[in-house]
Amino acid sequence: MRMSMRIKHVVVLLAMAGLLGAGMGTAAARADGVPVAYNYSFWGDTVSSPAPYLPAALLNGRDLGVGPFKEPNDLFVTADGDIYVLDSGNNRIVVLDRQLQPASVIDSFVRDGHEDTFANPQGIFVTDDKEVLIADTGNRRIVHLDRQLHLVKVIESPESELLPANFVFQPVRIAADKAQRLYVLAVGVFDGFMEFNADGTFTSFIGANRVRVDPVELFWKRISTREQRSRMVLFVPTEFTSLDMNEEGFIYATNGDQWGETIKKLNAHGNDILRREGYFSPRGDIRYTASAGPSRLVDIDVADSEIYSVLDAKRGRIFTYNGDGHLMYVFGGLGNKRGEFNTPVAIERLGDDFLVLDKALGEITLFQVTEYGSTLNEAVRSYYRGDEERAVELFRKAVDMNANLEFAYSGIGKALLRQGKYAEAMQYFKLSMDQRNYSKAFQLRRKEVLREYLPAVLSAAMAVTAGLLLLKKLRKMLRRKGAATLE
Amino acid sequence: MSKALVRFPFYLIFHPFAGYWELKYEQSRKANLIVSFAILVLMAATNILSSQYSGFVVHLYNPDDMNSLMEIVYVAVPVLFWCVANWSLTTLMDGEGKFVEIFASTCFALIPMIIIRFPWIWLSNAITLQEAAFYYFSESVAVLWSLYLLFVGNMTVHQYTPAKTVGTMLLTVVAIGFLAFICLLFFSLLQQIVSFVTVIYQEISLRY
Repeated sequence: MRMSMRIKHVVVLLAMAGLLGAGMGTAAARADGVPVAYNYSFWGDTVSSPAPYLPAALLNGRDLGVGPFKEPNDLFVTADGDIYVLDSGNNRIVVLDRQLQPASVIDSFVRDGHEDTFANPQGIFVTDDKEVLIADTGNRRIVHLDRQLHLVKVIESPESELLPANFVFQPVRIAADKAQRLYVLAVGVFDGFMEFNADGTFTSFIGANRVRVDPVELFWKRISTREQRSRMVLFVPTEFTSLDMNEEGFIYATNGDQWGETIKKLNAHGNDILRREGYFSPRGDIRYTASAGPSRLVDIDVADSEIYSVLDAKRGRIFTYNGDGHLMYVFGGLGNKRGEFNTPVAIERLGDDFLVLDKALGEITLFQVTEYGSTLNEAVRSYYRGDEERAVELFRKAVDMNANLEFAYSGIGKALLRQGKYAEAMQYFKLSMDQRNYSKAFQLRRKEVLREYLPAVLSAAMAVTAGLLLLKKLRKMLRRKGAATLE
Repeated sequence: MSKALVRFPFYLIFHPFAGYWELKYEQSRKANLIVSFAILVLMAATNILSSQYSGFVVHLYNPDDMNSLMEIVYVAVPVLFWCVANWSLTTLMDGEGKFVEIFASTCFALIPMIIIRFPWIWLSNAITLQEAAFYYFSESVAVLWSLYLLFVGNMTVHQYTPAKTVGTMLLTVVAIGFLAFICLLFFSLLQQIVSFVTVIYQEISLRY
């Protein structure tokens, strides 16, 4: 069944490619070099979509004049557009300005009057005040520098009864909220993120992943002896792979699981509050071959208006979702062409553009937003701000460019619903397969229709009944009269 | 005559014991068969219309997966399987029913699934998500009613005790599983034979 459907899809795709080729005089790939992106329909089919982002530039250390990057691991872009590249292999941080020109290189700091350096740092975070936090993994510490790059504090092996005695602190990713609390992703910590106070003391863990228990393995564990059990694999929660923080201080995190929810939005209690109202819960690719497996998410970047993007290291794709969990667009891929990567490790938004860091090649690809991408971004933003008229206008424009964009119809429908155009809204909700909102629109439409026609219908019914009763009475009277005359 | 033809099924679903008795001993076989086939046709029609016209709040359908011919098969094949399996079992288990009677009783049991679900095809277009509970409730009522009729029909046609009827019905389901398996095996073997013969023909025709 599944197989035959695949074949059917292939046939349809081939037929479509043929039509396209016939229509535009090109082969299956577009002649203008625009890679065709995809999205997922309500039914889980892959549907084509215009490219949301196109590669615009390739940055590497040599061209920038700072020497080649060596296994860079992380990237951070501040609100005003400064780019911090964590060049792990060279134990330094290269800062680029908005024009992508090198501004400075941080490779050491002064601690207690001595020069100190980094050792294979893995994570970087820059606060709004441009204070730099570095997960100095090789030195097993976190380094906090102020905006003049003077040392503020160093957090070294935290002590707590929550931590085992032989705990080795190896921070790899780091984020800070507005209250200067630090959230640290450390190697070998299965209890979630480590939370540190502003003064650098360890307070607690937050947002542990769930343990998945394999029933078969559980059965074998049940019937094995303690000796055997001690040699078996433990059921431990998986580690996170990355984190980012949005403006409101919520942590967005990804984990490398092959099952369950791989993207989470954690509140202060560590509860997952990510909205999953889309056609599929956000987790990267939903169609994949059994041998390739699902997406392995390694980085996440939150933009404004609850838009967030995740990076799939397995297939090198970047998936962007809106706050409701609808897949907005997908781009990227593994390969040798421009706009494709070898080992992507980090993504960051630079305004509406994207930076993707490739670890093995030591390159950063700059993706510039296309008209389609920016229309969609703006539409989602306008809707989030509550500017519905603009949102409808932009969603309509996006739909004109990509009729397959089902969730956009829902956006148009919601605005129409609020404007009181219920019948029209119903149409759009039907297109986006949004039963709940369709039902809402329908209820209001029904009320409207009833209010319009019910009085007339009821009056007519009443008039007819009254008329019939009168007729009956008249007949009776006439009959009685007739009877009387007969007598 | 034709009036009785229409009226009898309605009498049967409200008075199943008396109705099935009449079906087995008093009604003409021809009349029963005519009504049975009519019910099957109506059932298939209801399913087809339902998959196309049911309200959006209770029914999402993928146009790619719509196939009216398959809807007919989904009605005809289960009924056929049920009847064959039931007949095969009951002949061995002292059932008094003939195949025609089993077939008719099964078809008559489907009536609630038509008369309840057909109006709901149109009604479901006029309900909201909150009111959809009524829709699902009616669907369940239809199914339970049909199951009850199937039970009574089986009991009356074969002159079984209630416990034996339940047992037979469960065994019938198992037998359907076997039937399906054997059918699958048969067709797969047939396919292999056909491909074997065609390959030999190809071989020969290419050589000489």
